[in-house]
Amino acid sequence: MADEKQALERMVLTRALRLNATVQGIVTGLVAGLGVFIATNWLVLKGGERVGPHLSLLGQYFIGYRVSFLGSLLGFFYAFVIGYVVGYMVGRVYNWAVDRRDHKRLGHA
Amino acid sequence: MRGDQLAEKHVVVIGGGPAGLTAGYELAKFDLRPVVLEKEGLVGGLARTETYKGFHFDMGGHRFFTKVEEVNKMWQQVLGGEFLRRPRLSRIFYNGKFFFYPLKPLNALLGLGFFQAVLIVLSFMWWQVFPYRREDTFEQWVTNRFGRRLFLTFFKTYTEKVWGISCSELKAEWAAQRIKDLSLKTALRSMFIKPKNTIKTLIEEFDYPRRGPGMMWNAVKSEIEQRHGVVRLNSGVVRINRTDKHIDSVVVQHDGVEEVIPGTDFISSMPVTQLIKALDPPAPATVLSAAGRLTYRDFLTVVLIINKPHIFDDNWVYIHDPGVNVGRIQNFKNWSPDMVPDPSQTSLGLEYFCTEGDKVWTMADADLIEMGRREIDRIGLARYEDVVDGCVVRVEKAYPVYDSEYREYLGVVREFIDGLENCQTIGRNGLHRYNNQDHAMVTGMLAVRNLVLGEHHDLWSVNTDQEYHEEIREPARVTEHDLEEVLEGALSQVFLKLDRVAMGISLGLNAGVLLFLATLMLVLKGGESGAHVGPTLGLLSQYFPGYTVTAAGSVLGLLYGFVSGFVVGWCFAFIRNAAVFLYMAFVHRRAELQALRRLLEYF
Repeated sequence: MADEKQALERMVLTRALRLNATVQGIVTGLVAGLGVFIATNWLVLKGGERVGPHLSLLGQYFIGYRVSFLGSLLGFFYAFVIGYVVGYMVGRVYNWAVDRRDHKRLGHA
Repeated sequence: MRGDQLAEKHVVVIGGGPAGLTAGYELAKFDLRPVVLEKEGLVGGLARTETYKGFHFDMGGHRFFTKVEEVNKMWQQVLGGEFLRRPRLSRIFYNGKFFFYPLKPLNALLGLGFFQAVLIVLSFMWWQVFPYRREDTFEQWVTNRFGRRLFLTFFKTYTEKVWGISCSELKAEWAAQRIKDLSLKTALRSMFIKPKNTIKTLIEEFDYPRRGPGMMWNAVKSEIEQRHGVVRLNSGVVRINRTDKHIDSVVVQHDGVEEVIPGTDFISSMPVTQLIKALDPPAPATVLSAAGRLTYRDFLTVVLIINKPHIFDDNWVYIHDPGVNVGRIQNFKNWSPDMVPDPSQTSLGLEYFCTEGDKVWTMADADLIEMGRREIDRIGLARYEDVVDGCVVRVEKAYPVYDSEYREYLGVVREFIDGLENCQTIGRNGLHRYNNQDHAMVTGMLAVRNLVLGEHHDLWSVNTDQEYHEEIREPARVTEHDLEEVLEGALSQVFLKLDRVAMGISLGLNAGVLLFLATLMLVLKGGESGAHVGPTLGLLSQYFPGYTVTAAGSVLGLLYGFVSGFVVGWCFAFIRNAAVFLYMAFVHRRAELQALRRLLEYF
């Protein structure tokens, strides 16, 4: 029991956290998607002469995107996909880098 | 074990305390007709209830609170209707004021005064920055964690009263042993897994027999006798006859006359040191020597009867005042109103920790009562002239001493006892272990299971950790425990540190690639002839000198994106790790305070 506890302490103090790339991707995707969705609808609800001239620049990347309710749904989809890819890649690259560094460290140990 | 084999068993139980009587009770349930031998004139051992002129006194205070279902079941079966549910209050009495422990900020501020409270905080900060480099002594150990001023106020005096030696001589290992269960795992558990409500409730209130714990043990004695077992009082074991590894009989002394009591099996809760010394032929010299080095701390209670209906609200208070010898005061009336015969009077038990034969132990009863009267007056809990009567009760071998070498010596003794074929030791003194009443009872129960059902419980490990609770719980509880283990494992993963460089590389690469693709996409899409491509994205040049929305700019963007992403990722990981570390340190310190509270309650 004592050994088990010591091992746990040692592990927490020395080992690096691994990220779950899929979870990371989903979370980033949802945050990005909701961000675009809310930002778009906020401007739509506020209204005005010319609605969202700057946000509409996203249309340069998100083909078909406009600052409208339908555009917000499309924006959610685009942003979710991009966010997912970015989040997933951050997780994968991070884990890869940690593995490489661990491997290097243990190799020299 | 078959019925005919059981019928041949003649089990002798040495000791009529909670462990011995529980063993006797369990044996009687198997129709084994045990013989329980108690050297005193009343049962209950360390949990007995003494009486004087109609006043009942509990030696040390015994809450009937347990997490062990079988123990609770036995209590309810034996004494169900006679239990009172009592509120629990126990505080530190220092400098004329009551303090909650762990300290509550407002209570401490009001009690100590603003100036003293500030000094305590400053002292704490000082010792956090400049701690003792070595933690060899208890004093150093506590000071490093709580600061010198808090140590002097709330730890030094009481610890020295309990152990009779200076905190600078007490090994730090002692404290470390007492809180050895306080691992990171425990701290993590405390953060996320709250104690079950039932347990919390029982800590704040507890069951108590109407006239003290002795009432329970008298009832258990009656139960044993009703099932044709025998409980013999005033029958101290003076010799244990053996043939090699087999115990043949014990010799008891009753009214000066020795009597041999044979048996097929023996369960002993007598102090393990005395058991070894009583063996005939004697145990090997190494075992005798090891047993001789195991020591105990004793205490005596000076009971004062006071002509006041109410003194204070607590069940007991810890006395940290260095000017008096008393260590703890029990207010028996607050345990149960039936402990006093006259509601206009109160009986207090002033507990003096001492060692058998020392100055306090050998003082005449009258002198002890006089000392008690003076001290209760001095600390201001009652007036000298209000004390109308008193008596003294001495409790031998109340606390096995956990000094730095006891493990080694106990190991030798244990090895020898484990080698005896038909003898098991149980209880606090039988195992030389701080088992509370309920834990002592568990050892009695498990010893009987070993004997009758052929199970193989290790009695020495009862109460070393939580697992034994699970041993006698329902299967569903075990599953719950397993789930907690899994959850703890998962939680511990959350607190692993982020690799700063790896996070930097990861965010850097992603940011760089993102900027590279964003730039390139606009370049490839192009614009109307002569129009400026990507004027908005181009604003990044304000931060990234030389960056443009061009093919060459996309490569520069990759570089800039990587560098800035790396810096952000590295800083994020650094700050996150620091925050987790500080949080863990905070939780660990809080858990240490809780552990020290438990440490206080050992006595």
